[in-house]
Amino acid sequence: MSAIRVRDLTKSFAGVDAVSGMGFDVDRGELFGFLGPNGAGKTTTIKILTGQLRPDSGAVEVDGTDPSVDPIETRRRVGIVPEGGVPPSFFTPREYFTYVSRLRGLESEIVERRIDEWAERLGLQDRLETIHTDLSRGQQQKVMIAQAFLHEPDVVFIDEPLANLDPLVQEQVKRQLADYVDDDNTAFLSTHNIDVAEDLCTRVGIVADGKIVAERDLDTADEPLLDVFLSTVDEAQPRDVPIVDR
Amino acid sequence: MTNASEAPADGATECTEPGVGTGHTETPPIRTQLAVTARALAREEWRVHTTLFGGYRFLTMPILITLFAGGTAWLLTETGTAPDAVLIGIHVCALAFGLYAGTAGFAGSAMLEDVFGTHQFLLGVADTLPLSRRLFLGLFLVKDALFYGCFFVLPMAVGAVGVSGFSGATPISLVGQWLSLWLVFVGGMAVTVGAISARTNGVPTWAIAAVALLAAVGAWASGWLDGGTVLVTAHSPVSMAILALSTVLVGALALAAYKPTHVPPSRTAPERFEGIRRLLPTDDPLVAKALLELGRSSGGFAKPFVSVGLLFGLVAGSLGIVESITGVAPAPGIFFGGILGVSAFTTYNWLTQFDDVSDYLVLPVSVVDVFRAKQLAFLFVGLPTAGLPYLLAVVWFDATPLDAIAGGAVLVGYSGYYYGLTVALAGFSPNEFLFDGGRFAAFGGGVAIALVPTLLAAFVLTPPSVLSTVLLVCASALLAGVGFVLSTRAATYWADRSMAGTA
Repeated sequence: MSAIRVRDLTKSFAGVDAVSGMGFDVDRGELFGFLGPNGAGKTTTIKILTGQLRPDSGAVEVDGTDPSVDPIETRRRVGIVPEGGVPPSFFTPREYFTYVSRLRGLESEIVERRIDEWAERLGLQDRLETIHTDLSRGQQQKVMIAQAFLHEPDVVFIDEPLANLDPLVQEQVKRQLADYVDDDNTAFLSTHNIDVAEDLCTRVGIVADGKIVAERDLDTADEPLLDVFLSTVDEAQPRDVPIVDR
Repeated sequence: MTNASEAPADGATECTEPGVGTGHTETPPIRTQLAVTARALAREEWRVHTTLFGGYRFLTMPILITLFAGGTAWLLTETGTAPDAVLIGIHVCALAFGLYAGTAGFAGSAMLEDVFGTHQFLLGVADTLPLSRRLFLGLFLVKDALFYGCFFVLPMAVGAVGVSGFSGATPISLVGQWLSLWLVFVGGMAVTVGAISARTNGVPTWAIAAVALLAAVGAWASGWLDGGTVLVTAHSPVSMAILALSTVLVGALALAAYKPTHVPPSRTAPERFEGIRRLLPTDDPLVAKALLELGRSSGGFAKPFVSVGLLFGLVAGSLGIVESITGVAPAPGIFFGGILGVSAFTTYNWLTQFDDVSDYLVLPVSVVDVFRAKQLAFLFVGLPTAGLPYLLAVVWFDATPLDAIAGGAVLVGYSGYYYGLTVALAGFSPNEFLFDGGRFAAFGGGVAIALVPTLLAAFVLTPPSVLSTVLLVCASALLAGVGFVLSTRAATYWADRSMAGTA
């Protein structure tokens, strides 16, 4: 059963196509990598899938909801970690988690337990009462990751999941994501980092020029992802990239 | 990386430019570094205004300032205010603007981040460049002083020059006015930078505020203020030299004391979000969030009170002058109710300093809900913020009961109207008024439509009758309704823009 379905999606800004004819499916229990170069349309697509942007045309279904019709219901169900997103400056992590939990209608006793669980998972226990402006960028990223999982959503969207995290926490996040999809949940990761996609995902969709140009099941594929990426992306979106002698 | 087609055939590294490719570069002389940085900063300033504020639309701002300063100066002198008093007033405005502009030294602070959204500025990456942060900040402030000197202070001078009438000496008078206003403006900047420098040396904010208060009271009590007013009205070479020297001295001391490596200690805080939420009559977490951010940021809940306090002090202080000019004491209730209503703008501004619409798009809330929450937060903060000074004015200036009722209605109704007007024109970014001539003019016009007739009424209805009180209450209710419609429609408008990706 599809957790995410996208058909003929288009979105343009001031006449420039950011997404043009995007289409793909992501099943339950998949850790799907949305891989593409900068400017390929990844973030715009995520924003449409999470009800942050209205598409120009096309059909989208996320966890049984249509984000273009009822964006709030979509956002109620899913978890979102935006690229470069930072938590509100003058909150502490504990206050922000409480605030997000209240917005999501979680019970008080569940809130406290989940905050403690996530603080432990991401090593934030001794930072729960520190004002966000005084946290490092990596710690702020941890807060943003934790807030997306507090309500135990069936689907999460993460834009550049491992950005700013130290190797130890990267491993923790990877393990967390693997456990998460093992429970028949769906993770949609957007990245331009091939190693991250290869390391984390069960399947990837390669995006170029606003659409999916190739899909690969990483459990069965034998061709290196880098080769697939370079050949498909360069074909779909020729770029003026200097040739490097290696 | 080397393009293969351009690489030397034998693969050898050919480096004719000194330093390139060796890992070591010759540091250019400081003069070159400063010149390059100054050019980059100037270019950036220009791009900020042309990119963020709608092409060349920001160029309408100097014209508006000229018209506003000229119109006000003309009105005041025509109604009998001494020209020197008008000039002093304009200098006070320049000083206040300089104090505000000096906050650029806080670059990277939450406030400036919010004004400019997610944009990164050259000053923000100064630490990555081989130039001292102190020098960089100095250059940045010089650039600001020159830019605002041309785009904001010069129009003030042009507007003010009419005070003494036009003659053959006008061009010289204009240059004198400009220089004097500019020096006062730069002095204000230098004082703010001085306060920032004190902070970077670990001086607590309360101590800085206490020193500022003591200095202000001391200057007033010792007669130094009178000396200051002589300085800005004399326009003699000596007065200019004293002004220039004091400005340079304060600026140089501030920069010398500035500690670029200062890192504030890590701050922790007890859980407050739930506490605030429980105190409110609404269960909406968005309202509690807005109030927590206001209370937790620098200055806490005192910020909106200080903004209104300044407005109140200015109006209360000038009431005697107005009375001596017109020969009539205005009805204090209506007069203060009308003026304090404008504080809706500053209060809403404080409530939107710490977030952006996009912050909420990852949460299950609509943009309309966010605006509704801001409206409620505005109610909780705005009522005491404007209400307390209003009550003080009513008691202090002996308003009649009917005047107090009429003024109270005006205060509430007009606040609602100004709030709606601000939300409709600026959405979540009321600070952009400072740079957008079109919206500033629309806002000014919207305020004047309500305020000017009300202030005139305050001079005619002394004291107001039952009938005039009823009429004022009705007018206030009508304006509050207009404000409500404006803010409700604005919420839908900004939500729609956000979803379309054009906000």
